[in-house]
Amino acid sequence: MTNTDEGKLIAQVAQGNEAAFLAIYDRYASRVHGLTLHILGEDMLAEEATQDTFLKVWSRARDYLAERGPFLPWLLTIARRVALDRLRLEARRPLLSAANDPEDAWQFIPELESLSDESRWRSLYFAVQALHPDQRKVVELAYYQSMSQSEIAEVLGWPLGTVKTRLRSALEALRGVWNGT
Amino acid sequence: MTHDEHTPYLENIPAYAIGALDADEFAALESHLQTCASCRAELAEYRVLNQSLLTAVPPRQPSAALRKRLQSRLPSVQKTARPQWNWNWSFSRMAVGASLILLLVMNMYSILQTRALQQEQAQLNRQVRTGQTVMSMLSYPATERLSINSDKAVGSLLLDKERDIVALIVWNMPELPENETYQIWLIDPQGERVSAGIFSPESDQAYTTKVVYPKQRLVDFTGVGVTVEPAGGSEQPTGERLFKVDF
Repeated sequence: MTNTDEGKLIAQVAQGNEAAFLAIYDRYASRVHGLTLHILGEDMLAEEATQDTFLKVWSRARDYLAERGPFLPWLLTIARRVALDRLRLEARRPLLSAANDPEDAWQFIPELESLSDESRWRSLYFAVQALHPDQRKVVELAYYQSMSQSEIAEVLGWPLGTVKTRLRSALEALRGVWNGT
Repeated sequence: MTHDEHTPYLENIPAYAIGALDADEFAALESHLQTCASCRAELAEYRVLNQSLLTAVPPRQPSAALRKRLQSRLPSVQKTARPQWNWNWSFSRMAVGASLILLLVMNMYSILQTRALQQEQAQLNRQVRTGQTVMSMLSYPATERLSINSDKAVGSLLLDKERDIVALIVWNMPELPENETYQIWLIDPQGERVSAGIFSPESDQAYTTKVVYPKQRLVDFTGVGVTVEPAGGSEQPTGERLFKVDF
């Protein structure tokens, strides 16, 4: 499916075309479910979050503007927010900051050419897995659990300075991988 | 700003980019970013990473049941925008249109029926008035009663020369085709005929009564005749004579 085809499909979804919506679902359901499962860690909760994500796509498709960036990061930003909100409800986690809203995230979405390269995503995934376990742990809690550095320090029982150093080092390493690929 | 003063902000940028900074540091860095272009450039790179991490997890296919469940939960209001909805919408329009046409037809039928009843009532009124006129003529002393007795018609002719009224009562008049009518003629002493109107036989009774109010005085005429003429009548008699009565 080309980006043009995808843009047409999303425009059709915005007009209430169910067949187009299901085509989008079939293409991206595994990506959304992969992310929600990673965040929530439980298949049933993850499926509910995946469902809520696509229901939001159905009702908010008209908000997506193709000229402002690719569809997948927009979709996954919604999925992350839905999953983290669900996590907060289940575990009394704090609300997401406004910076994680998909509308605010538009200006930070990378170029289409880089996003279309699946190998870069795989490289990043492997780079996360290759981090030192302590570094990976703080990235997981900060990004996929939406915890602040002081919350991570409390949960892991580590000094706040240690958490800051490990998170910064991990993100610097990942940035290097992303830019170098 | 010196390098040492700049460093704490720079170190906080990665955590800020992924939303992990605590509130106090978050506010301080936000304020700093307003005036520091190099920190904004650094932040832009980490924000790209922030978005990239969204896909740095392995895909996982959800259950097949989720797709069906999702379909069933699509809000019905928006489902109505699908082509199927358009068909329903068109069907509704057709149903409304058909109802309107049916109402229109029923309305027209009702109007026609009312008009037919009105015509029937008007005819009955005419018959009543004619009957009353004939009765009053019969009871009036000056009315002359003459017999109609030809091989085609029998009946009576009532003549009131004071009031210039002529009444015909003719039995068993033959029905005429649609393109023909009966026409009454007043005949003067020179044999000239003046039309006194056209009429059709009553279809629902054995006799036909026709009252004529001539424009001229009856004393100027010597007879009355009835002929069969083309529908609408003629200026002079052209058809078969039904009868002729002399005064």
